[in-house]
Amino acid sequence: MLELIELTKRFGNTVALDGLSLCATPGRIHGFVGRNGAGKTTAMRIAVGLAAADSGRVLWNGAPVDATSRAGFGYMPEERGLYPAMTARAQVTYFGELSGLGRAAAKTEADRVLSGLGITERAADNVDKLSLGNQQRVQLAIALVQSPELLILDEPFSGLDPVGVDVLADVLCTEVARGTGVVFSSHQLELVERLCDEVTIVDSGRVVASGTIAALRAGQGAHRYRVVLDGGWTTWADSVRGARVVSDERGEVLLELAPGTDDQVVLDAARAAGRVLTFDRVTPSLAELFREVVPR
Amino acid sequence: MTGFDAVRLVAMREVRERLRSKMFRSSSAVSLLVVLGVAIVPSLLSDGDPTTYDVGVVGAASAPLADRLQKAVDQLGEDARVNRRDVADAAAADRLLADGDLDVAIVDGGALVVNEELAEPLEALVHIAHRETALQRALSEAGVTGAAAETAMQPTPLPVRALDPPDPETDAREAIMFAGTVLLYGQLLGYGYWVASGILEEKSSRVVEVVLAKVRGSHLLAGKIIGIGLLGFAQLVGFVCIGLVAASVSGSVDLPPQTTRIAVELVAWFVLGFAFYACLFAAAGALASRAEEMQSTTGPLTLVIVVAFFVALGVGDEPGGTVARVATFVPATAPLVLPIRSAAGELAVWEALASIAIILLATYGAVRLAGRVYAGSALNVRGQLKLREALARARAR
Repeated sequence: MLELIELTKRFGNTVALDGLSLCATPGRIHGFVGRNGAGKTTAMRIAVGLAAADSGRVLWNGAPVDATSRAGFGYMPEERGLYPAMTARAQVTYFGELSGLGRAAAKTEADRVLSGLGITERAADNVDKLSLGNQQRVQLAIALVQSPELLILDEPFSGLDPVGVDVLADVLCTEVARGTGVVFSSHQLELVERLCDEVTIVDSGRVVASGTIAALRAGQGAHRYRVVLDGGWTTWADSVRGARVVSDERGEVLLELAPGTDDQVVLDAARAAGRVLTFDRVTPSLAELFREVVPR
Repeated sequence: MTGFDAVRLVAMREVRERLRSKMFRSSSAVSLLVVLGVAIVPSLLSDGDPTTYDVGVVGAASAPLADRLQKAVDQLGEDARVNRRDVADAAAADRLLADGDLDVAIVDGGALVVNEELAEPLEALVHIAHRETALQRALSEAGVTGAAAETAMQPTPLPVRALDPPDPETDAREAIMFAGTVLLYGQLLGYGYWVASGILEEKSSRVVEVVLAKVRGSHLLAGKIIGIGLLGFAQLVGFVCIGLVAASVSGSVDLPPQTTRIAVELVAWFVLGFAFYACLFAAAGALASRAEEMQSTTGPLTLVIVVAFFVALGVGDEPGGTVARVATFVPATAPLVLPIRSAAGELAVWEALASIAIILLATYGAVRLAGRVYAGSALNVRGQLKLREALARARAR
């Protein structure tokens, strides 16, 4: 388990991280979302040792992270990078060795990973001769070569075509099934919602929401209802006790009920105002949630 | 994985990938051709044949002067000989001179004809011959002929006792040293550049971020310098051996007995010099993030090596002079200057030891500098950094 605890980091006058905490557990996918510049990349770089935090701790299975534990991390930076004049196989083998595999084992593992990603027939080609999609696969192969205990992927889905997205999603699911912990950052919130077990939303270096997707969507006890009355009446909702009007558009009212408010009482109030066409409990999507917790 | 393993893996990748690269192979082939050329061409230019003076003889009266000229030239030894041609008349001689078939024509024992001018040393030889002809005639009139006359005209040469005779191997040694200095300079500059461009390549391809997630920056830097250095070392040893063998087999130079020592010292100074320069080149490469920027970040360093090279050439002329002594203790010039002074026998042991101590100390400083610059600039993939900015970033990282 990887734990980032109360990390802070400043670059000159810019605060990159302001007490950020995050926890990635084995066998689960953790989504890391936030606007550009929110501190995601900095946090990930600190986790893999590319940068040092000003304060805070990084723990791996309860102990401070060190070079040995980091050897078990697979990392893919936002700025993809490969040795252009090296073959795919030599490259993946090299990173396998740097991760602590012996040369023979690294070669075997490189071939296994490359074949798993479907690029065996291009493995002897120099990377700069490969298509962008295949280069992305080599990049992923580098992160996977030593069968990592933890995958830290910075924007792994950016720039992928729909097929590439599916390939990567399958790979992540396979890895997680193996017991690997996965943390990835992304702006594609639908994808995060579909793949992740847990999400951390950051803004200005601080966590603004975190937890399982289900818990976040259900909200902390506050339930939402979409109500439509015949004739498009909406003003009735303003006077219902325990209900807050979130939005009111084209005859459709979105209400948020305070914890402990009985939805049947609200329904009664609606019926008293007119003929109820729709009374529907809604859970917000991650994207909607994101827009609420991250200020514009 | 230990730090040693990391350095070894990085170094091995450098060696393996560079041996694969077309650029490395072609530049090595070109260098090899140059080395072979320098080693063999002198033997082709000096073909070993003696210089031949084509002398035209017009009229019987010219015979005595031609005889004396022949004797004077013979005295020079094996390097020159006279090709004597009897020419029917002065007009025929003029034609041959104009066509370049004759160097000089002696007309009726009383006049010399040349096409443009009488070149040295032929001019001096002809005048000696002329004087001897006159002397022979006078001696003959005085009744001195035969061996006695010959001895008077060409007495046994005076013995010469030199207080400080030149070493007959000086020329060969200087030639070897000159070629060695050029080679050392080329390797230091060339392989320093490989280091800088290797560092830049990792930055510009962005792969450095993936590598640094696995390997500490200092280990990556050390592995790169050691890997490239090993290649440069092996190549230099190869060039030195091939060059010396080629020069000796082709007859360009007779290898003096100290050749092995000179070669070993040259290679040893490559190791010391490369360690020093490579760290500085690494820092220069790290400051850039694109190839165009590297031109300007490595520029000052290139200039330093070029200046050191010219200083070394000067030291070759005066290995015991003030410049030579000062350059011995400057880390930038020592690697190029020390082998020359040592080969010339002008280097005191204490000077060598002090110089080695200084360059080791300077290399330690260069390692620290390169490490800090690298730490501050490795992940900066946009734009060129000033040295001060890189150091400031290293502190803030």
